[in-house]
Amino acid sequence: MRAVYKRELQSFFCTPHAYVFTGVFLLLGSVFFAVGNLAAHSSDLNGFLWNAGYLWMLLTPVLTMHVYAGERRAHTDQLLFSSPVSLWGVALGKYLATITVLGLTVFLSLIYAGLIAIYGRLYPSEALCGYLGFSLQGSAFVAIDLYVSARSRTPVTAAVWAFGINLLLWLVDVLSSAVSSEILQRILEFISPYQRCAPFRSGQLSAANALYFIGVSALMLFLTVRMLDSRRWREA
Amino acid sequence: MITLTSITKRYGNTVALSDVSFTARQGEVLGLLGQNGAGKTTALNIITGCLAPSAGSVTIGGHDLIQEPRQARRLVGYLPEVPPLYDEMTVRAYLRFACELKLVLPADIPAHVEEIAARTGLKQMLGRRIGNLSKGYRQRVGLAQALCGDPEVLILDEPTSGLDPRQTAEFRETLREQANGRTVLFSSHILSEVQALCDRVIILHHGQIVLDSNLKQLQSGSALRLRADIQGDAKVLLPALRSLAGVRRVTRLPDESGVLSVLLECTQGECPQRTLFTLLSGLNMPLLRLQPVESSLEEVFLKITSEG
Repeated sequence: MRAVYKRELQSFFCTPHAYVFTGVFLLLGSVFFAVGNLAAHSSDLNGFLWNAGYLWMLLTPVLTMHVYAGERRAHTDQLLFSSPVSLWGVALGKYLATITVLGLTVFLSLIYAGLIAIYGRLYPSEALCGYLGFSLQGSAFVAIDLYVSARSRTPVTAAVWAFGINLLLWLVDVLSSAVSSEILQRILEFISPYQRCAPFRSGQLSAANALYFIGVSALMLFLTVRMLDSRRWREA
Repeated sequence: MITLTSITKRYGNTVALSDVSFTARQGEVLGLLGQNGAGKTTALNIITGCLAPSAGSVTIGGHDLIQEPRQARRLVGYLPEVPPLYDEMTVRAYLRFACELKLVLPADIPAHVEEIAARTGLKQMLGRRIGNLSKGYRQRVGLAQALCGDPEVLILDEPTSGLDPRQTAEFRETLREQANGRTVLFSSHILSEVQALCDRVIILHHGQIVLDSNLKQLQSGSALRLRADIQGDAKVLLPALRSLAGVRRVTRLPDESGVLSVLLECTQGECPQRTLFTLLSGLNMPLLRLQPVESSLEEVFLKITSEG
């Protein structure tokens, strides 16, 4: 697993993927921060984290598209699958490497919290809680999109499918506030990763919601391993 | 070292391999031959664990590939048809990664990489990006990767395909050196390559083994063929040769400076030299050369794969 993690991380920084992901995230994040905080003279990070949560939907496919689908296209997956490393080792190594890039991006985005701390009033525990939820949300998106990448034959199809599924999750969030049926609304809110992130932004360290994100990541990792294994049985 | 027992692989209704069984012994160089779509790559992918069989089992060094994948795969180095190379990595970083995958002890990796690079002629290329290497060097990096961890079994899928003649010759020479003592299983379209490198050959046809033979036995087991250069009149000589006991077929070869050259295909087990000498002596036609002609693997391959 360690070998796969190291190589994957190296690959992110030897190719444009990590730079595009982090660069675009910080660029758009700066726009959100400028509009929501600087222009509005607001110290509230809530709005920034809410808007930045949508960036995962747009940008995680950029990060995950090559992870499995790129290997499949270049036939380098044969090196991994013929090695003594288990499929769980491969999947965890790749997931953790992707999460490292995501974590680095989140770390760099702390500059906005730093600016508020210097020029405004920051509530550290609230901000920390918000960033935790924001990071957990991102890691769940990464796990979902990695599964999509493992299913796809080319990076482009992986990116298109991942973006489509992320968009669907956003629509779930939109629908949850639009439907009149209370039961349906509760179901949609239960599924929506955006609703699950809301308590963190208001400073509540919610174990249930943290477990939701960890559970989604674990489930998608499990499905990724099953997908990789099933390819051995059916591929030509 | 490698044992395949009743391996069958189906893709939907298509049967890629049907009840394939064979054993490759320690130190044996085994060539896997077959037309496109015969099942060679499928067989190699199953042996390396990249594919799972629909039925049957594979053991490597006594370890079942499904029950003990880690132990079995540790013994195998695999060079697929398309070398699994990461273009963005340097050769050194890539070989280090391959060593880590093969569970080489971290402290041993730098020396091991240097040693493998020296053995495969990559010492000068260690700092180069793989994406910038020529096809021949890429293939060498692929072979070096397969050698990481000093595996007891080497599996190579069409290792010289796409190389120019010089690169092919160099690659074969490297392969011959590295095969020493290892069990090597490789598929190839190039029959002369199999003939030059292998001890034993297996021919797959429509997913089934149609021939499994020692190469020397294969060549010596077929009926004797003789090339004869005779000074004489073809009109008289050819009918006389055709009526000779023990000769199944007579083929006239292109004449060289007035000398009649013929290929005599003998009946299995027959050796008609004595009757030939007697015949020519009676016709007063001197025999200038009589030479046995070995049947090539190509002829055997074409014969077997054209049947059924």
